[in-house]
Amino acid sequence: MDNFEPEIVAFCCHYCGYTAADMAGTRRISYPSNVKIIRVPCTGKVDAIHLMKALEKGADGVYIAACLEGDCHFKDGNLRAVAHVEKIKKTLEDLGWEPERVAMMNFSAAMGQQFAQAAEEFTEKIKALGPSPASQATSKAV
Amino acid sequence: MQKIKQDEKRVLVIGGGVGGIKAALDLSESRKKVLLIDSDYAIGGLMTQLDRTFPTNNCDLCTVSPHLSAASREKFLEVSTMTELTSLSGEAGNFTATLKTAPRFIDIDKCTACGECLKKFPEAVRFNPGLDPRAPTCMRYPQATPYAYSIDMEKVDDVEALKAVCKAGAIIPDDTEQETQINVASVVLSVGAEMFDPSVLDNYGGGKFDNVLPGLEYERIMSASGPFQGNLVRKSDQQRPKKVAWIQCVGSRGINVDDVPYCSSVCCMYALKEAIVTKERFGDDIETTIFYMDMRTSGKDYEQYFNRAKEDFGIRLIRCKPHTVIELPDKSLEITYAREELSAMEKEEFDMVVLSTGFRPSQKTIDLAGAIGIDLNEHNFAKSGTIDPVTTSKDGVYVCGVFESPKDIPETMVQASAAASLAGMTLDSEEWVNEPVSLYPPQRDVDGEAPKIGFFVVDCDGEIDQALDIDKILENAKTNPDVAVAEAFKLSCSFEAMEKIEGLIKEHNLNRVVIGSGSPRIQESMFQDMLRRAGLNPYLLELVNLRDQNAWVHNDAPAKSLEKAFRLVQMGISGVRKAKPLTENMLPTSQNALVVGGGVTGMTSALELADQGTLTYLVEKAPVLGGQALNLSQTIEGDDVAAFVKGLVDKVSAHENIKVFTDAVVAEHTGVPGKFTTGIKTGADSACEQIDHGVTILATGAKPNRPAVYGLGELDNVMTQLDLDAVLENDESKIKAMEQVVMIQCAGSREADNPNCSRICCQAAVKNALRLLEVNPDIEVFVLYRDMRTYGFWEDYYKTARDKGVKFIRFDLEHRPVVREEAGKTIVRAHDFILGQDIEIEADCVALSTGFVADADTNNELCSLFHLPKTEDGFFLEDHVKLKPVDMALHGFFLAGTAHSPKVIRESITQAHAVAGRARTMLANKEITLGAAYATVDPVMCAVCLICVRACPYDVPFINNERHSEIDPAKCRGCGICAAECPAKAIQLRAWEDDQIIAKIDGLFERYN
Repeated sequence: MDNFEPEIVAFCCHYCGYTAADMAGTRRISYPSNVKIIRVPCTGKVDAIHLMKALEKGADGVYIAACLEGDCHFKDGNLRAVAHVEKIKKTLEDLGWEPERVAMMNFSAAMGQQFAQAAEEFTEKIKALGPSPASQATSKAV
Repeated sequence: MQKIKQDEKRVLVIGGGVGGIKAALDLSESRKKVLLIDSDYAIGGLMTQLDRTFPTNNCDLCTVSPHLSAASREKFLEVSTMTELTSLSGEAGNFTATLKTAPRFIDIDKCTACGECLKKFPEAVRFNPGLDPRAPTCMRYPQATPYAYSIDMEKVDDVEALKAVCKAGAIIPDDTEQETQINVASVVLSVGAEMFDPSVLDNYGGGKFDNVLPGLEYERIMSASGPFQGNLVRKSDQQRPKKVAWIQCVGSRGINVDDVPYCSSVCCMYALKEAIVTKERFGDDIETTIFYMDMRTSGKDYEQYFNRAKEDFGIRLIRCKPHTVIELPDKSLEITYAREELSAMEKEEFDMVVLSTGFRPSQKTIDLAGAIGIDLNEHNFAKSGTIDPVTTSKDGVYVCGVFESPKDIPETMVQASAAASLAGMTLDSEEWVNEPVSLYPPQRDVDGEAPKIGFFVVDCDGEIDQALDIDKILENAKTNPDVAVAEAFKLSCSFEAMEKIEGLIKEHNLNRVVIGSGSPRIQESMFQDMLRRAGLNPYLLELVNLRDQNAWVHNDAPAKSLEKAFRLVQMGISGVRKAKPLTENMLPTSQNALVVGGGVTGMTSALELADQGTLTYLVEKAPVLGGQALNLSQTIEGDDVAAFVKGLVDKVSAHENIKVFTDAVVAEHTGVPGKFTTGIKTGADSACEQIDHGVTILATGAKPNRPAVYGLGELDNVMTQLDLDAVLENDESKIKAMEQVVMIQCAGSREADNPNCSRICCQAAVKNALRLLEVNPDIEVFVLYRDMRTYGFWEDYYKTARDKGVKFIRFDLEHRPVVREEAGKTIVRAHDFILGQDIEIEADCVALSTGFVADADTNNELCSLFHLPKTEDGFFLEDHVKLKPVDMALHGFFLAGTAHSPKVIRESITQAHAVAGRARTMLANKEITLGAAYATVDPVMCAVCLICVRACPYDVPFINNERHSEIDPAKCRGCGICAAECPAKAIQLRAWEDDQIIAKIDGLFERYN
């Protein structure tokens, strides 16, 4: 599993998470290319179904990058996202998966450095966990 | 000669560099007619010759004005190239300008820029300054606008042969000079300056040695559109250099015969940028060294760029101005220099030497100033207002950019908006409703069609190409059977690329488009407009962020980065298949403005808006208007600040269109851009007064810093520069009794806990030193500094201070001064690098240059109330640091003054004008597009569970008479929270529907062969 390259999906809100990712780009701060970003208007829009779908399709880890708490552009969308993440963690536990495969993160638009660092740390964490049961199943199928 | 007279009154903008373009776009965005002229063959100015710009290191010029549709650009803005002003008569509001347009000998409407003429006349193309021969057919750079060649007829021997070459029949051999008289309300001068030609200096080998070149030529060599296609090689042997040196202040800040005394303000940053970009591309293969006198990185967050240059990129910095450069037999270069701490000269060999040259006003500019009748200063730049820098000595003529004083792009953009705003005040906005139906072709009905997708990579700055194999990305995209076209546009300006894509959309009858380019945050509206022009609904589009979130962040892993690009593109293609045509909601905008902050900045903005009939609410936290300027007695130029502030307060208080709230804060806020409602709480009153406004200007200022360093707050004789200002103003006897004064710069800034430079302190120290000497000529003033940052013409004051005997002693973080009290005396110990030992100075007064810090409490409150982003050090964050420095990311919010970053009064006032102008561009539109992303309810699926009613942060959903939930599109903000919470999945957020998001996930995980 040394050369295991995890698949990671990051749902980023337009105003903070996605902007922070762009900021990392503007400043040329690199992070692992394992992280693929899907833009959403607000992380409150990220349905539990979307998180599960990503895991089912082959993501080894999924996270939500929202505004800092209290700074959500739509008041409390990021707090709702926390609830969705918690729910999925619970579901994963019930399924016998590691709940750490799902995470909630918060950034301000200016936190490009922190975004890159968090992407790196999350990738390392998922690397250590190894492939998710679903992605193991699909790679066997191929 | 052809003579034409035009009666329609317009604003005339002279100079088509970024400043002129920005001014012209701002004016046309606020629906005022404008003519932009440039004597050159194409607009773009210096910026288009830069490889990349700092601090973002990319171009993005196309994003300057995303809210200006191409249609209104056509209606309000005319561009005339190869055109000069020959005379200006009349007065402000009613000038007559005479313009002369040189013959281009090419019909630009017919020219397709195919390049055939250039091929047949191969001695061709003037392209890169100093690196290419002059040519009869001449296109300046690949991104040229207009996209057409021009011919120097005198150099063409066989006109018929030239005509025969042109398939488009665009050659006009008998084209003549044209004279036009136009009616002009006001003039904006944005004519810039030339770069100093270092070949007149005899010690650095500029123009003589092959491998010595000025900074701009280095940019051209690094540029993908440059002479070596972006390959960094030496001119002498086409080999990659291993050691590159930069020499700062070449021709600037000097006293030699060919030097100018002023500082050009931009060279430190561009040298750092060039060194960083070199390091980014070649890493440890190239060693970079910068020889400098003072590192002047005083712009917003520039200090952090400087720190990264040192710490992350390992750029070597040597503080000294070298003596000479000599060429060695192998064409390498030997620099002789002396460091201040060593008495002996040192010699070092480099492969390439870059001379950081600054700005010089050209003779043409000086002549133009004469023709217009404006005064110049002693350095031949425009003599501008000391308090109001965009005004000139002539009413109705405004100046912006480098011709006002040397400056970088963000400051030029601010001045351009400011000059446009003032120039536009004499001209009414035209009533013109943006009617998409009439301005765009009718939208093609794509209902029922199978997806036919066009995939296009738009890589105008070459950033994607540099990191990723675009051809492979295209190939991969083409494996999708429904991708009908896949093409890349490398290094062509996005405007040109978009025109071609429009053609391809029509030609192939495409019904979906995927663009691989920069961030959709910046570029989406631009490409949506492209779809409208091509007759497609703008929502049949997906953007793939190949640049900001791929090319720029995976430099270390090219193969994986390419793999990621395939996957991201597949995500876009899969997503766009599910896209639906959507209609947008329009809302009439409130015509009122809210200005938060009643300092000089806020008052200036409010007055300017109010003068144009905008009802403006001005909210000030303090009991009186005036802000920090109340603590300042005079500017370095000698303006009486108190009198100026009083004048402003009187005008603001008396203005019928301004409603002032003092001792007041904003407490509640709702609404959408263009239609906000904000509650204002005054004094101890618990009730809020609700006001409607279409735009919001943040001018809340910053806080004078009072760090507990060097004994401030403990020792009696230690004070801040502001405290000293008060003593100078009120207690001359105290100054007269002083014998020695020590000033310590960067007190509390450029330190680990506050890494940024406060920008204002160097000039404040020089100002106060000169004032001390004026009151008491016998006083000895010592300024302990790290880098003296008297940028621009302030260098003159710095020199005067030195001439008058003020002693400037440098220190660094390893040798910080120490202030102590001993037997009732205040003693400052400092390290003298030249003597190589510590010295002690007994001081009657120690003045700390403490600068400004963000007003954290206020900014935090406002950011959470308005949902606005901040910088890491707590200032407000603008939308685009380079090109949109006073707009905020949230439409309808603008930012000015020290709330943006520390700056002096004249810079704050410029921003105040700029935001007033930017706000006008929004108000002039009368209505605003809310976009199409609103939530809709499927009545059949709705179980009336009320979850959406409770979940919506804005209380929009309600249960209607038909017993299902209903969402008013005009009130919905488009967050999608209700859609995520709805247990029956009866709610969908348009443009972000579940099947679209799931399609993206599917695309991302599609398997590849």
